[in-house]
Amino acid sequence: MTALVECRDLACGYDEPVLEHVDLTIEAGEIVALLGGSGCGKSTLLRTLTGLLPPLAGEVRLFGESLYELDVEARDLLLRRIGIAFQQDALFSSMTLEDNIALPLRELTHLPDAVVGEMVRMKLALVGLSGLEHRLPANVSGGQRKRAALARASILDPELIFCDEPTAGLDPIVAVGIDETLVKFRDALGCTIVVVSHELDTVKAIADRGIMLARGAIRASGTIDELVGSRDQAVYEFFHARTT
Amino acid sequence: MDSPAQPGTSVERRGTTVVVHVHGDVVVPTVEQLDTALRTLGGERDVRQVVVDLGGAGRLDSSGVAVLELARRALQRSGKELALEHLEPRHRAAFELAPPPQPPAAPEQPVTWLEGVGAGTLAVAASVRALGALVLDTVRLSAAIAVRRKRIPAGSVGAHVLAMGADALFIVGLLSFLLGMTIGFQGAVQLQRFGAGPFVSDMVGVSMVREFSPLITAIVLTGRTGAAIAAELGTMRVGSEIDALTAMGVNPVRFLVVPRIVALTFVQPALTLMSMFIGIAGGMLVASLLLDMSPSSFWLRIIERVTIGDFTHGIGKSFVFAWIIGFAGSHLGLHTRGGAASVGIATTRTVVVSVFSIVVVDAAFATLSTFVRYS
Repeated sequence: MTALVECRDLACGYDEPVLEHVDLTIEAGEIVALLGGSGCGKSTLLRTLTGLLPPLAGEVRLFGESLYELDVEARDLLLRRIGIAFQQDALFSSMTLEDNIALPLRELTHLPDAVVGEMVRMKLALVGLSGLEHRLPANVSGGQRKRAALARASILDPELIFCDEPTAGLDPIVAVGIDETLVKFRDALGCTIVVVSHELDTVKAIADRGIMLARGAIRASGTIDELVGSRDQAVYEFFHARTT
Repeated sequence: MDSPAQPGTSVERRGTTVVVHVHGDVVVPTVEQLDTALRTLGGERDVRQVVVDLGGAGRLDSSGVAVLELARRALQRSGKELALEHLEPRHRAAFELAPPPQPPAAPEQPVTWLEGVGAGTLAVAASVRALGALVLDTVRLSAAIAVRRKRIPAGSVGAHVLAMGADALFIVGLLSFLLGMTIGFQGAVQLQRFGAGPFVSDMVGVSMVREFSPLITAIVLTGRTGAAIAAELGTMRVGSEIDALTAMGVNPVRFLVVPRIVALTFVQPALTLMSMFIGIAGGMLVASLLLDMSPSSFWLRIIERVTIGDFTHGIGKSFVFAWIIGFAGSHLGLHTRGGAASVGIATTRTVVVSVFSIVVVDAAFATLSTFVRYS
């Protein structure tokens, strides 16, 4: 297997490190969940892995390239190979869902309009938003916005998709739909997916592996079953406080 | 960095059937080659069937699926056929992502100009009604606050007075001084030709007190304060903060609008008064330099010529301007819908509506006062 994401002795945070001594490897074709309670640094790590927050120490390698040592153009090219679905959806409020999803294709490729339209139609259908393409983000529900954000993150069929809390705050039916969509992306398009989540149902349904963050570091790593059975106090509390 | 496996197509002809052998990855960066090949073959008259052989294809993403799906439909329309050969399971999985073709959407009824005018009129009427309701609500709540039946958020008026007034002192002062100087220059040059140079003080005094000070202060406050009110309230609306206030049982008009209107009611006349004196000082400087007119003679003429009625006219207008700016910003901010772009639109509209209304009201004041004075 090929390592798509590698971190070595990474420290990330804003002024003070939120996480330190982070070593992790994510292989092609995996669905990996970054787990942990609120404020443990999941989203901070995600921002550092996606080029949005330079590390305080250590190195991030994507597709074998050291992300923060590349010049701007090379980094942009590398980042085109990943897709990001943000926690707050980050859709452009002045554009319709169709235009939001088509934006990366229109800006970064020279594909004919017909092909762009067909790809957008496919992605909208895939996330269950067919027929809503002409709506503005303000005129659809929170769950629909999250799904549109997922469609935009996947429009270039990236090799690696990062999703920050894709099912947080959604009803169970919509959440299951998003879980299934993520698995389809992996199975049909061969994507590697990194999900930040504290929704255990999502994690159990889709993740091949979990990386548990707590107290400023990676606390445990392994299959979800291994983590559920962990004797580590922080890991045990995370999984079992929710089921009692 | 891995790049897609080198793509390519080779064409094999078997009578009226053309086989397109695809090699390498069919993904976003490489799909155009297949798209071009299929379009070219689709346009050839002697081709009845196009077979796409994916046996040598690597990764097939949704751009590849989209190109093949579009080619299939285009060939179908011209009575031809597209067939796929040697699909691997991963290619089949990619094709399963494609939704079934949709029937063409029914054409939308075009909106006639009369319907457009009607819809526009209704929208303006609804907006005016909402503005009227906001004004009434603000007056009612302000009266309730005045008789201490309701409370205003502690310290909010003071904070707004500082932000709207103290921070605008320099810009209003500078503009007023320059405006007074400009009027002084124009007056001195023209009046001197008729031997009426000393009358420049009359001109500067009356112009600044009755017209220019209220107007320049209102325009500065529109740009600084009116736009800020619209942007602030619009952002709060878009971020559901105003819904949160309503849901908590806190009246957003009392909490957000009344303090801003009250602050503007103090700030605009105060700045206007300051502007009047600084503008006159600008004119005085010009008169002393160009006409050799002493400051005391200049001020004596001002005291003789500019009446309390002129001050009342200027200050009275400034109250109206303050309310125009405050209510336009509050109304458009509170009625923002959508996201960041809507906040920008609300801010722009506030400036345009406020400046337009201020000029119209100023013209009305000038017309009315002239009739009252000289009829």
